[in-house]
Amino acid sequence: MLEILTTTLLVAGLAGCLAAPLGILLGYWMARSEFPGKSVVETLIALPLTLPPTAIGYLLLVLFSRGGLLGNWSPGFLFTWKAAVLSAAVMALPLVARTARAAFAEVDPRLELMGRSSGLGSLAVFQRITLPLARRGLLAACLLGFGRAMGEFGATVIVAGIIPGETETLSLAIFQEIQLGNSAGALQLVAIATLLSFLLVWTTERLLRRRASS
Amino acid sequence: MIAFDVQLQQGRFLLDVQWQSQARCLGICGPSGSGKSSLLEALAGWRTPRRLNLRLDAFSVPSAQIPPERRELGYVPQDGLLWPHLCVRENLALGCANPQLAQRTVAVLGIEALLERLPADLSGGERQRVALARAIARQPRALLLDEPLGALDAGLRRRILPYLARVGEEFRIPTLFVSHDPAEVLALCDEMVLLEAGRIVRGGPPAVLLREQDSVLGAFENIFHGEVVQADEGTALLQLAEGGQVSVAARGIQVGERVLFSIRSDEILVALERPTRISARNVLPAVVIAVVEEGNAGVRVDARLDEGRGALLSAVLSAAAVRELGLSAGAELYLIFKANSCRLFTSQP
Repeated sequence: MLEILTTTLLVAGLAGCLAAPLGILLGYWMARSEFPGKSVVETLIALPLTLPPTAIGYLLLVLFSRGGLLGNWSPGFLFTWKAAVLSAAVMALPLVARTARAAFAEVDPRLELMGRSSGLGSLAVFQRITLPLARRGLLAACLLGFGRAMGEFGATVIVAGIIPGETETLSLAIFQEIQLGNSAGALQLVAIATLLSFLLVWTTERLLRRRASS
Repeated sequence: MIAFDVQLQQGRFLLDVQWQSQARCLGICGPSGSGKSSLLEALAGWRTPRRLNLRLDAFSVPSAQIPPERRELGYVPQDGLLWPHLCVRENLALGCANPQLAQRTVAVLGIEALLERLPADLSGGERQRVALARAIARQPRALLLDEPLGALDAGLRRRILPYLARVGEEFRIPTLFVSHDPAEVLALCDEMVLLEAGRIVRGGPPAVLLREQDSVLGAFENIFHGEVVQADEGTALLQLAEGGQVSVAARGIQVGERVLFSIRSDEILVALERPTRISARNVLPAVVIAVVEEGNAGVRVDARLDEGRGALLSAVLSAAAVRELGLSAGAELYLIFKANSCRLFTSQP
């Protein structure tokens, strides 16, 4: 049980660490850039939200298989904890990016322009003005991404399998217990998953509510 | 010197303005939608014009490609735009080029007690003073003030205006000052331009232009710098800088205090002989300098106090009254107005 919980937190944590910076940058870019075809790019970024996770998993499998585009670059990548982290990160990324976009969109761009008129470069404005003003929304984005990564199943089972101690996260373990007919074990895992999800969603809601009131 | 040449297209609206001025403070007036704010935003780098050239003595912003952070301009918009997550001290420190100047600015604008407060805890007037201090602390080549008092109520505007005047005297920074209020422009600007539909239609000394632009900017307001020479209960006697003394209704004002005084041109009466047993506190002998027909607005009578050597006041009268009194240049008369009709701009609450 502890092993499953540790694997889950490690995989989801690392996936969150991957998805958070990329999602935040994508969110900023979506909130602040205007160019022809922007809506198409935004739709592509959001695709993993609506595509069956198994489809994403299969695409990753093809990509990293021997002979795939990235297969030669990373031999032995599939069916390891790294594959589990990557698939969870890919599934979490659009959620992080969209939540981050909403957080950045709430920051008045004139406050950023005022920063530049005060002599700050673009990077300094981002660090000193944009990020602090969007911080609650961005933290909520990271928590949602972590939660999404923690619950990931479809893509992970295809690219990482269910390897105890390496890729067997809570959601995979629940599936495994059901397959084995172990209802008590499955229920125990479901209870833990429910508790973790509750804490995550509750914290996120509190952050978003405080953001709205401030 | 302030010189600019800007062409900015926004949808169907075209702003196309050029001006060169030796004024330290140039007022930019005009009706809503004439392009006043767009001009300042283009100069600040917040909009990208087709053509841009700004010159301030030896310094210049020669093209629209220069990013805002390299323009060295202090911009204060109508809402101040303080960073809400930073206290006043941090707002002033971020991007501050000269901490000593920042300290001096804090003292001049009287915001020492506000330094640890967040913008959300400041009143409208305090916010604008902090925004002004932030812009000056950056040691800018010029200040761009976009109706800095526009969001404040009349009472607050009266209290902030002397601070703006003090900033002009203290720091001598070339300033472009956008305002709807003739009193503000008269009080602060050496020269003004009038914008209409994206073009400069007139330019010159505010006292001359505003006397001629009643229809655009409302009734002309006579405004003067003065010093309190006597303060009794409820009234004060002011010595106007340009000559002449007036009585104004004021409480809590100190002898020696420097203030701005204004009286609307349509609140001044005229008499050829000194009236007696009259309630109005101001019955001031003056000499007519000019009598100007203003169409539907009536006739403007410009007269100087102190036997024709003092402050120039304008009174707007009906054509019939001017005919009946036989007013013409050189005539001697009395300007009459109530102490209560005067507006006093002072930094005291």
